[in-house]
Amino acid sequence: MILWLTLAFPLAAAIFLLAFRRPGTASTFALTLGAAQVLLLAACAWQIHSEGVLQQGQYLRADNLTLLFLANLTIIFAVVLVYSVGYLRHVPSGRFSSPRWFYALLFLFVFTMLAAYLSANLGVLWIAIEATTLASALLVGFYNTKGAIEAGWKYLIVCTVGIAFALFGTIALYLAAVRGGVPQAQALDWTALMAAAPGMGAAHDLLKLAFVFIAVGYGTKIGFVPMHSWLPDAHAEAPAPISAMLSAVLLNCAMYALLRFDAITSHAIGTTFSHTLLIAFGCLSLVVAVFLMIVQRDLKRLLAYSSIEHMGIVALGVGIGGPLGLFGALLHSFNHSLAKTLLFFTTGKVRDTFDTLRMDRIHGMARVLPYTSSVLIAGGVAIVGLPPFGLFVSEFSILMAAFGGSHYIIATFMLIAFSIGFGALLFHFQRMLGGEPQLPRSRVKLLPTEIVGMCTCGACLLFLGVHIPGVLISVLNSAVAVLQ
Amino acid sequence: MSTTIDVLQFLIIVGIAPLIRGVISRVKARIQNRRGASIFRPYADLWKLFHKEDLIPSTASPFFRVCPMILFAATIAGAALVPVLHASSLLGNRGDIILLAYLFALGRFFLVLGSQDGGSAFGGMGAGREALVSTLAEAPLLFGLIAVAVTAHTTSIAGIVGWTAARHPLELSSVHAFAFAALVLVTIAETGRVPVDNPTTHLELTMIHEAMVLEYSGPSLALIEWASATKLSLMFALIISLFAPWGIVTGGSVLGIAIALAAYLPKIGLLVVFVAALESSMAKLRMYLVPEFLGIASALSVLAVVFTVFKR
Amino acid sequence: MDLFQLAAAKTLATSAVFLFITVLMIAAAKRTATCITLFAAQCAIIAAQIIALAFLHHSVEAFVVAAMVLLVKVIAIPSALVRITRRLKVSPTVSASTSPGLSLFIVAVLILLAFIVVQPYARAFALDSEMLAAATAIVLTGGFLMVSRRKALMQVIGLLVLENGIFLAALTTTFGMPLVIEMGIFFDLLMCVLLMGVFVFRIRETFEHVDVSRLRRLRG
Repeated sequence: MILWLTLAFPLAAAIFLLAFRRPGTASTFALTLGAAQVLLLAACAWQIHSEGVLQQGQYLRADNLTLLFLANLTIIFAVVLVYSVGYLRHVPSGRFSSPRWFYALLFLFVFTMLAAYLSANLGVLWIAIEATTLASALLVGFYNTKGAIEAGWKYLIVCTVGIAFALFGTIALYLAAVRGGVPQAQALDWTALMAAAPGMGAAHDLLKLAFVFIAVGYGTKIGFVPMHSWLPDAHAEAPAPISAMLSAVLLNCAMYALLRFDAITSHAIGTTFSHTLLIAFGCLSLVVAVFLMIVQRDLKRLLAYSSIEHMGIVALGVGIGGPLGLFGALLHSFNHSLAKTLLFFTTGKVRDTFDTLRMDRIHGMARVLPYTSSVLIAGGVAIVGLPPFGLFVSEFSILMAAFGGSHYIIATFMLIAFSIGFGALLFHFQRMLGGEPQLPRSRVKLLPTEIVGMCTCGACLLFLGVHIPGVLISVLNSAVAVLQ
Repeated sequence: MSTTIDVLQFLIIVGIAPLIRGVISRVKARIQNRRGASIFRPYADLWKLFHKEDLIPSTASPFFRVCPMILFAATIAGAALVPVLHASSLLGNRGDIILLAYLFALGRFFLVLGSQDGGSAFGGMGAGREALVSTLAEAPLLFGLIAVAVTAHTTSIAGIVGWTAARHPLELSSVHAFAFAALVLVTIAETGRVPVDNPTTHLELTMIHEAMVLEYSGPSLALIEWASATKLSLMFALIISLFAPWGIVTGGSVLGIAIALAAYLPKIGLLVVFVAALESSMAKLRMYLVPEFLGIASALSVLAVVFTVFKR
Repeated sequence: MDLFQLAAAKTLATSAVFLFITVLMIAAAKRTATCITLFAAQCAIIAAQIIALAFLHHSVEAFVVAAMVLLVKVIAIPSALVRITRRLKVSPTVSASTSPGLSLFIVAVLILLAFIVVQPYARAFALDSEMLAAATAIVLTGGFLMVSRRKALMQVIGLLVLENGIFLAALTTTFGMPLVIEMGIFFDLLMCVLLMGVFVFRIRETFEHVDVSRLRRLRG
C-alpha cells in the first residue's frame, strides 16, 4: 500500500500545483507538499528497512538497494526544494516562466525517478527512465535563453537515442530469458530473472550483446564518456537547484538501472565481461573528465565534468567488484550527491553576485562572499576526496578493493586522476577566490533557505566522513548482498 | 507453330511501337486538359517521312546515311530477343541479356557517330550528352538484368520469363522489386522521356536525343524515329516479361495466343499511363542532376544484385 | 478463412521488401512532409505485420498492440508532426547535408551492412534474416537521418524511425513483449514527440531558425 501511495503522491502533487492557480501561493503549496512527500518517503524507507523486501502487485518492489537510493532521493529532494523557494525569488528578470510550473515539473521529475526506483519490472524501469528524460528536459530549458534551449534540445535528443539503445538491450535480455525457459509473462521481472539467471548461461552471446546495449544506453544517461556530450551543457544551463537534482539524483537513478542489469548478467555469464566493460567506461570517463576539467571556463561546466569523473569512479567500483568494491561504489554515489548539491548551491550565489559564471572573470570571491567561499572551499575539498569528508572513505574503499583484487594499473590510474582533478579544482578555485575583488563586500545576503540547504549537505558529508552510522552500513551491506 | 508465334511477337513489338508513342501523347494531352492528336498520328508521320527526300549535309560522309539503318537494325534485332506471348523468341537461342545490352550499345554508338558526322554544333552537343546518359545507364541496366538472371539461374531472357511465370504472382521478392525500380528508371533514361529528356521540346539547348537527329530528314529520320519508338516498346515488353509475365501461352493454341495478347495489352496500358502521368507531373531535370538520377538507379540495381546473395 | 491465412502469410513474406523501399525513399526524400508520410507508411506496414502474426497465432493481445500501433504511430504521431510543421512555417525542404543520390547510396550501403551484421545472429537463433536485417537497416537509417539532416524536426523524425527499427527487431525476435510494457512504450513515444515539438517551437522563437547545425554555442 505504501509503495503505491509514495509513487502516486508526487504525480498528484504536480497535478494539484498545475490545477490550483492562485498567484503567489506556489511556494507555500510546494513546501507543504514537499514536506508530505518527504514524510511519506521516510515512512516507506522505514518499512523497507524493517521488512527487508516490499512487493506490491506485479510491478512495484523495493529492497535494500532501493532503500539506499530512496534515502539519497529524499535528502536531496528536501534540500533542493527548500533551496528553490529562495532561489526562485532572485532569478534575474526577463528570464523565465513561472514558479508554479517549476515546482510542478520538479514533482513530476521526482515521480518518474520514484517509478524507476520502485519498479520490479525491467520494462517499467525503461519506461520510467525515458520519462525522467522527458520530465527534466523542460526543467533544463527552463530559463528559455539560447543556451538553455540548445542544452535542453541536445539533452532530449542524445538521451532519447541512448535510451532507445537501452530498449534494444532490454529486449535482447528478454529474448535470452524466454529462450532460457522463463515464462513470457515473467521474463522482464527482476526477481524472476535473478532466480533464472544461472540457467541462462547458454545464450551468452545474446546476453553479452544485451549488456553492451544496456551499458551504452543507460551509460548515456549516467554520463559515461563518449556518450557524455549532453551532460556539461545540461548541467551548466539548468537553474542551480535543477543542476543539483540532475547531478545528484538523476545520474544515480541511471546507475541504479545499470546495477540491476549488471546483477542479472553477472549471475548468468559471470562477471568478466560486464565488469571489464564497466571498468573500461569508468577509466575512460575518469581520465577524459579530469583532463577536460583543467580547460574549463564556466564554473557549472567544471562541476558537471566533475560529476562525470565521479560517475566514472562509481563504475570503476562496480567493475572492480567484490563486496568491498560495490560497498565503495554505492557509498560513493551517496556521498557524491551530497557534495555536488553543496557545490551547485554555491553557484547560485556566485552568479547572483558576479552576474557571470566565467571563472576567469571572477576574482576576490573570498572577500566579497566570505560565507559562500568557505562553503565552496569545503565543497571543493570534499569533491576531490580529501578527509574529513565522506568521499574520502568511499574512494578509499574502492582503492582498497582495487589493490585487493590485484587491479594495480586501475588503482594507479585512479590515483593519477585524483591528483589531476585535485590540481584542476585547486587551480580554478584559487583563481576565483584570491586576487583583488572588484565588488564591495557582501552585496547580496545569504538567504535562510540557502543556509539550510548548504548546512544540511555539509553536515551530512562531514558526519559521513568521520563516522558512518551503523544503520547506513547495514543498509549498504544488504544492498550489496542484493546485488551479489 | 512456335516460330509463327515468335514472328508474331516480333511484329507486335515493332509494329505497335508508334502506337505506344501516340497513346502516350494522347494520354498526356488528356491529363493536361487538351484534346490531343489521334493515336495513329505517328504512323502518319512515318508514312510522310518515308515519302520525302533525304537531304544530306554537304560536309557529311557516306557514313551519314548508313548510321540510321544500323541503328534500326540493331533495335529490331533486340526486339527479336524479347518474348511477349510465350516463353521464347525469334532469336532466343542465339542471344541473351548480354546480347541485348550490346545491341543497344551498338545502335547508340552509330547514332552518336552519325550525329557528329552531320557537322552541326547541336549534333555534337547532343552526342556528348547522350554518351554521358547512356554510359551511366549501362550499369543499372546490366546489374538489374543480372540480378534477375541470377535468381532465375539463366541469362536467356526466355528462360527468365519461363522461371518467373512458374512462380506465384503474390510472391514478391526484394531482388525483383529493386531490379524493377532500377529498370524503370533506366527505361526513362534510355528512351529519352521526362525527367531525363523532353521528347517534345523545341529548344535545342535542352535536347539530348532530338539534338542528335536535327540534321536527318526523310527516310533516315523515319528509321531513327521508328527505332526510338521500338526501343520504348522493347523496354516495356522487357519489363513486363521479366517481372509480370503471367498470362503467357505455353502451348500453341489460337485461344492461348488470344489470351496472352489480352493479358499483355492491359500491362502495356498500365505502363503507358504511368509514363504519361510521370511526364505530366515532373519537370525535366537539369543536365547536372541527370547523373544523380542515374546514380539512384545504380544504387537500386546494386542492391538488387547484393540481395541475390542473401536470399537463397 | 483460408484466404485470410494466405493473405497473412503473404504479408509476412513480403513486408520486408516494402520496408526496404520505404527506407530508401525516406533517404532520398526532399521534403519534410514526404518523410512524415513515409514514416506513417512504415508504421502501417509494421501494423499489418502484427495483424498477420496475430491472425496466425490467434492472439488477442497482438491485435490490441496492432490497434495501438495504428492509433499512435500511424495516426497520432504523424498528424502531430504535420501540425507542428504547418505551424512552424519554415521551408518545406529537408535541409539535408547530402544530396538525395548520395543519401540513397549511403543507405544502400547501410542495408548491405545490416545484412552482413545480422547473419550470425539469424543463423544462431533460426530467425528470418531478411526481417531482422530490415529492422537493423531501419535503425541505421534513423541514425543516418539524425546525423545528416539539419532541420530540428528531421532529427525528431530520424529518432522515430530509429525507435521503429528497434520495435520491429523486438517484434521479429520475440513476438512482442507484455501488453502493459508495450502500452507504456507507446505512451512514452507520444509524450516524447509532443515534448520535442514544444522544443522545436522554442528553438524557432529563440534562434529564429530551426537549423540544428547552427546550434553551436555550447562547446567543450
